[in-house]
Amino acid sequence: MPDRPLNKICYVEDDEDIQRIVRMSLERVGKMTVEIVTDPLQAIGVMMAFKPDLVMLDWMMPGLDGPALFKKMKEDPATAALPVVFITAKAQSRDMAELMALGAHGAISKPFSPKDLPDQLRAIWKKIP
Amino acid sequence: MSNLANGNLTTTVETAERRAAIAEVIRDRADPALVRADRVEQLYSQLPLGMLATIVIGVIAAIELREGRFIELVLFWGGLLVLVVVLNGMLYFGYRNEAHKTENTGQWLRWFGIGAFAAGAVWGFAAAVFFPSHADERQVFLAFLLAGVMSGGIPMYAASWPVFAAYAAAIALPFTYVLATFGNRLFAEIALLIPLFYGVSVAIAYRLNGVFLSGYRLRHAYQRQLVELEEARRQIEASGRKLALFAERSPIAVLELDADGVVRDVNNAAELLFGYAADELIGESAKRIVLPQYHADFERDWAQLMSTRKPATGLLIRNPRRDGLTIVCEWTVTPLVNREGQLVSVIAQGRDITAQREAERMKKEFTSTLSHELRTPLTSIIGSLQLINAGVLGDVPKDMMELTEVAERNGQRLLDLINDILDIEKIESGKLTLNPEIIRVDELVRESMVLNKGFGDRFKVRFEPRGELSTVEVNADRKRLLQVMTNLLSNAAKFSPEGEVVEISTQEDGWSLRIAVHDRGPGIPEAFRSRIFGRFNQADSTTSRQKGGTGLGLAICKRLIEMMRGRIGFDDRPEGGTTFWFELPRHA
Repeated sequence: MPDRPLNKICYVEDDEDIQRIVRMSLERVGKMTVEIVTDPLQAIGVMMAFKPDLVMLDWMMPGLDGPALFKKMKEDPATAALPVVFITAKAQSRDMAELMALGAHGAISKPFSPKDLPDQLRAIWKKIP
Repeated sequence: MSNLANGNLTTTVETAERRAAIAEVIRDRADPALVRADRVEQLYSQLPLGMLATIVIGVIAAIELREGRFIELVLFWGGLLVLVVVLNGMLYFGYRNEAHKTENTGQWLRWFGIGAFAAGAVWGFAAAVFFPSHADERQVFLAFLLAGVMSGGIPMYAASWPVFAAYAAAIALPFTYVLATFGNRLFAEIALLIPLFYGVSVAIAYRLNGVFLSGYRLRHAYQRQLVELEEARRQIEASGRKLALFAERSPIAVLELDADGVVRDVNNAAELLFGYAADELIGESAKRIVLPQYHADFERDWAQLMSTRKPATGLLIRNPRRDGLTIVCEWTVTPLVNREGQLVSVIAQGRDITAQREAERMKKEFTSTLSHELRTPLTSIIGSLQLINAGVLGDVPKDMMELTEVAERNGQRLLDLINDILDIEKIESGKLTLNPEIIRVDELVRESMVLNKGFGDRFKVRFEPRGELSTVEVNADRKRLLQVMTNLLSNAAKFSPEGEVVEISTQEDGWSLRIAVHDRGPGIPEAFRSRIFGRFNQADSTTSRQKGGTGLGLAICKRLIEMMRGRIGFDDRPEGGTTFWFELPRHA
């Protein structure tokens, strides 16, 4: 468990409505700092500048999907160590297991409850060694 | 080479032995009643000839023996002879006019035996009466005559040796007695020879009897065998026609191939499916309907089929049609092997599943779309409403809050429906995998009560355990078991009157454990009982509008519990309401 509380979250998501809900949930309910990235191709650059505690990745995105972005993050030393949680509307348990094996820390399925989202993330955060 | 020769020899010997065994079996199949009827028929058919001979010999004997002092005796003997012949003649005509010869053969054989004995006795009488009273040459004549009629009886009566034995005894006994008591040493010695002669004759008759019997048995057995063979031939012909018709009319393409994969025959459906006329396929390799890039695979699979000779089913092959289109067919390939282990031919049956696969692909795509494209907007809808209803954005006017709560609840209902549809689709397509773990039943029940407390509160219903909860463990999928519990608890809450208690009990029973949810609802209508675990079933369609629910919940529960090797059901409560229960095997 990391020695500080979870605060800075970077969320890569192409759907603006969900972006807004997640921002509201994390900022107002969770009292966290949120940086949202719409274009997954720019995500790594944003992460390097923002230095988040944890990254949330949407699974299905145009251009570069969540799993592909995750692999790119792993290849980049600046982002390789960041904890990653996937947000997915698909029940792809086999793919998910593969990503967990590669080092993803969790998965939250859509639709999630914005009331509970901060707690869900904190629960995952606590389990990170 | 020598091995081959030995093999052949063994085969020949085996075949000869087998043939002998088959002949034995066939012979034993002759109907004994029919065989006896045939023998009686043979005896009677020879009767006129025998009687004619008797009359001729009798007349000659009477003429020869008349020169003596006993003319009255000769006349008396002649009268006896005529009487026996007439009686035998009557017997003959009686037999000829008998309508049920086969049923009464025993009776007719006995009568025949009596007739034969009487004929023999007439000759025996002649020996006894005339031999002592005549001079030497007449005695020789008589002896010769008696020997003749006795030996002549062999072919006449050999179809039944006891008949011959009776006939010959009637001749030989008096003659022997006369010779033995004549007082002449030579005659006494001849008297000793006559029983010997009699014995030999009876032995020959016995042998002939055996030959006749065997002949008749074979005749009947073969007759029967021929009838059966003809029947079998007809049946084979009929079943062959039927099979040919099946293949010809079948909507499935059927190809007969030889060991080299060359087409021998095709049915109409195959012509239609691949667009080739039968002549264009017959004599050609089956590779004609396999895409060139898969020829190597085909050859490898074919070689394997030829070595294992095991039927293969569910083979999916992309087959090119004559018009250039490629279709996907599901093939069943069956090598036909005869008793000697030789491959006769290979039957390939193919079904065009191109459309089916396309439908499956579309269904999968639809499911995937349903999953993603509907869940994403629902995330926004439900999420927004939850944030408002949770007061995250501050106070909302009461009227507005009521409406946003309605919207959130119905958004949730839509989501439940999508999840249920996806679940049942996954279960029915066999794609749902369970993650079994050891679960303590009391913990599971308490967890489900906590999870559903909100739902109970909404319907003003309390969930309470009844008695001590079992601490037995089950090996099951926790998430899916909670899903089942949630379904049962939410149903119970929905249908219970406000302020009521829904009780949950556990019961250990031998190898299984039962969890039951007892409600105080109106009970299950009679007409709905049989359909309750079906899909999209609710007793009253207005219920879903009033209380929510997709009508899939119990269908999913049943399938999940059955996947966990359990069973699910419901009973009426005597005091009103319903008990829904499920049983799972206890963890050993």
